[in-house]
Amino acid sequence: MPRTYEAVYIFDSTLEDTAISEKIKRFNALLHTTEQPEIAHWGRRQLAYSIGAKDNGYYVVSKFATEASSLPEYERALRLDDGVIRYLITLHEHEVGAPPQSEEELAAATRRDDDDDDED
Amino acid sequence: MRRPTKSCPFCESRVRWVDYKDDRTLGRFITDQGKILPSRLSGVCARHQRQLATAIKRARFLALIPYIRGHQA
Repeated sequence: MPRTYEAVYIFDSTLEDTAISEKIKRFNALLHTTEQPEIAHWGRRQLAYSIGAKDNGYYVVSKFATEASSLPEYERALRLDDGVIRYLITLHEHEVGAPPQSEEELAAATRRDDDDDDED
Repeated sequence: MRRPTKSCPFCESRVRWVDYKDDRTLGRFITDQGKILPSRLSGVCARHQRQLATAIKRARFLALIPYIRGHQA
């Protein structure tokens, strides 16, 4: 049974954008997914602490559904790739973050915040 | 005397699962040093505190938030 995973890659920020897209394509090919993975490019960001000699990284978030059996090969490719500073693969079984709020809820939340300020 | 109960900020904004990629939200729940803020100070409910701890640890690994703030390597 395929399960949904989410992978975050941190690429070397000195790599060209085309090289990064190529690498992502190569990783995706290893997953043998029927659907194309959802890719979100965060772009170049400063790291909160330096990893090795690197202070910046290119973040990419990928969401895909695949069989667990195809993961070891994929992970091995990630580990061996010198362009990948760090990666994290997590199970993505639930929607994370807050659901979009309706306007009424937003208004209620702001009112509550105002009340809190009065108390302080 | 009993302290007034704090309400969980995650429950209030209807968050079901804490997102480890949202470093701005997670940043509110770490101390100046970078430690995870205890729920007795933040008012986070037990269910969300468990998720928050995992999320912060994942975000630290991904260099989204620091392990120790103000540390010079």
